Amino acid sequence: MANVAGRVGILTQVCLVAGLRWRMLRNGLRKKSNRLDLIGLIFVGIFSAFFVVGLSFAFFAGAYNFLSLGRSGWMTLLFWGIFGFWQLFPMFAAGFGAGFEFRTLLRFPLNLPSFYIISLAYGLADFSALASLCWLVSMTFGAGAAKPRVLPAMLVVVTLFVLLNVTLERLVGSWLERLLSRRRTRELFFVLFILSMVSLNLVEPITRRYGAVLRPLAQRLLPYLSWFPPSLAGKAIASAEQGHFGGVVLASAELLLYAGVFSGFLWVRYARQYRGEELSETAAPSPLAARTVSKVDDAPDPLSALSPQVAAVVRKELRYLTRNSFAFLTLIMPLIVVFLFSSMFSGRHPTTQHPVSPEMLFPGIMAYIVLILMAPAYNCFAFEGRGIQAYFMAPVRFREVFLGKNLLLLSVLAVEMCLALAALAWQLGLPSPPVFVATLSAIVFAVIGQLSLANWSSLNFPRKLEFGHMRGQRQSGMAVLIAFGAQVLFGGVSAAILFGGRLMGNRWFPAEAFTLLAAAGVGGYFSSLDALSRVAEKKKETLIEALCR
Amino acid sequence: MPEIAISTQKLSRRFGNLTAVDGIDLKVAAGQFFGFLGPNGAGKSTTIKVLTGLLAPTSGSVELLGMDFAAHPIEVKRQIGVVPEGMGLLERLTGSEYLQFVGRMYGLDRATTQRRAAELLDFMQLADRPKTLIADYSHGMQKKLALAAAVIHGPRILFLDEPFEGVDALAAGALKALLGRMTERGTTIFLTSHVLEIVERLCSHVSIIHKGKLVAQGSLEELRTGISRETGSKTTLEEIFLSIVGQDGTERPHLEELSWLM
Repeated sequence: MANVAGRVGILTQVCLVAGLRWRMLRNGLRKKSNRLDLIGLIFVGIFSAFFVVGLSFAFFAGAYNFLSLGRSGWMTLLFWGIFGFWQLFPMFAAGFGAGFEFRTLLRFPLNLPSFYIISLAYGLADFSALASLCWLVSMTFGAGAAKPRVLPAMLVVVTLFVLLNVTLERLVGSWLERLLSRRRTRELFFVLFILSMVSLNLVEPITRRYGAVLRPLAQRLLPYLSWFPPSLAGKAIASAEQGHFGGVVLASAELLLYAGVFSGFLWVRYARQYRGEELSETAAPSPLAARTVSKVDDAPDPLSALSPQVAAVVRKELRYLTRNSFAFLTLIMPLIVVFLFSSMFSGRHPTTQHPVSPEMLFPGIMAYIVLILMAPAYNCFAFEGRGIQAYFMAPVRFREVFLGKNLLLLSVLAVEMCLALAALAWQLGLPSPPVFVATLSAIVFAVIGQLSLANWSSLNFPRKLEFGHMRGQRQSGMAVLIAFGAQVLFGGVSAAILFGGRLMGNRWFPAEAFTLLAAAGVGGYFSSLDALSRVAEKKKETLIEALCR
Repeated sequence: MPEIAISTQKLSRRFGNLTAVDGIDLKVAAGQFFGFLGPNGAGKSTTIKVLTGLLAPTSGSVELLGMDFAAHPIEVKRQIGVVPEGMGLLERLTGSEYLQFVGRMYGLDRATTQRRAAELLDFMQLADRPKTLIADYSHGMQKKLALAAAVIHGPRILFLDEPFEGVDALAAGALKALLGRMTERGTTIFLTSHVLEIVERLCSHVSIIHKGKLVAQGSLEELRTGISRETGSKTTLEEIFLSIVGQDGTERPHLEELSWLM
């Protein structure tokens, strides 16, 4: 008979989980491709150490000064800072974090209390928790040094504050884990994350325009913050400093109540996981479902002018574009930027106080759109994944694949530029005909010229990207370098031509020069396609290996 | 002499110092249901990739239906269907969209592609989730879709790398029947599988690859006769496989080391 495993103590299990986290990190760095990650990690580590140690001094000084100067109520601000960092940082890091789902530990013989305690210990090993602990300890030393009689209250409050924060962070984390386990919500989270980052740009214009209205509203809301844990912690310390024992007990009891409520919710959440919550969204076939009648779409094919293979690639690319939240963002971003720029600069220039003319803004915005939308073309197979094999299994040459991909990109670019032009015309008016024609022909030259380079880069430096994932989602360094070089080259040529036109005093010279270059670019593009088909055949193994990982 | 569908001459493929496929000479007649067997890491998937153009051979040549693959890749690809290792699906399409994509890439007209895609989805029991992305399919559903995509253009040779892995018994039965009918109509099927019972039931001819080299080739009867002559008893494919691949004893697990489990 086989031996049955004996009981294991919680401490051993906590150590095992800590060891697991360490090994995952270490083994992740053993891959050759992760050497750069290691260098990055060292830099991040140094930066983080400075960040934590520096702020530890700041929290020590803050607590010491507030209590020494009799401004004990301001301690609340320090607690709010720590609370905000502890709760928000893991949320932002969720998409980038280690690929380990905590609930997978449930396959081991753990009872619910052990699972709960290990989870809290796991939460205390997070960067945000460790940093916050350092700052709380510094605050405690600062408070003790300034007013020794506050120390006992500080110890109680900090203990409760740590318990409350780690519980709340695990609670939010477990809900995030549940949300991010589903593809759709993961992608939605990703879009919201990017949008929230972009929205930070709106803070300044909104404050400028609506500041007078928002300020009294914010002041009216401030008193309600006193019911939240950081304010309660600050209130307890202030009471201790003033010798109001009752105030300390009351605020601590309220903190304990918060911790109890969060613990209750977390317990319920873990109990559900413990009972075997199913998070998978994988579809299963239903054999008994009614069979669909085979239908043939009789409507005329809008892509009938293209060969079947090119049309198939265009359709596939369009579907991928509409289902890729990241690509979708790159589509709406230029329009948001046009709106932002034209709103900000239509009245006055930020430095000269003069309005920016469409003569300057139109070429600038068009160049920005090209910059943003051309960047993904340098790694155009990024989202194919294993599907890259479909192109090599099918009886097609890669010129058809590139034609399909490039055609969709050009269509998107054209639509974006029309929308941006309309927005600009609405906000600022149109530029003069020479600038208009010169800009459009410069774009044809720059885009078509870049396409051949971008296609070559896609074949030679492929890097797999995954939909809705943030962790490890970066382009190949070489592809980025080529894209940057190409943008500098085409931008430089364009600037030289514009400068030449101004020097000669001929407003139509740039338009004529760019039209000639655009024609040459189109010829060069079509003649590059066959060569690229041969490169694709040579590079297919690299491509398949890089994308099928 | 039957028409030869698949023929290789001294086919080799190396990855650095590792020789995954080492000078193999394969001959598969048209209309055969051919099983390609070997232990893990023997070179089965590499061979299929080389035969289907997903990998270039380091040396040697591949002829499919009498055409040199290297010289006529497009013409050869029109005649073959592949379920590669990892399936090669575009996961952001629905099943129907993917089949239509593949059909059009093989040059089928729009109406034929739509009709065949719908019929294949019906047959594979995938038609009831028209809006589900392939990314959200189960492994078995993805496998069935990959099979559907491999046959949508009516290939003359079908390469299947572990086609029944993860497919439920009901669908597997229907698929086996379909593949049987295809061979009756002259399609050549080249199949790798770890499930020897499946190979034994479906395939008329078998090759065994071990450490990159072909160690046995012939009809099942020929292989059985060879082994029976040695052992004096009627043999199954599993016994044939083990007797050929496990001859040196290195592949056999040493059960005595796991005495604590018994």
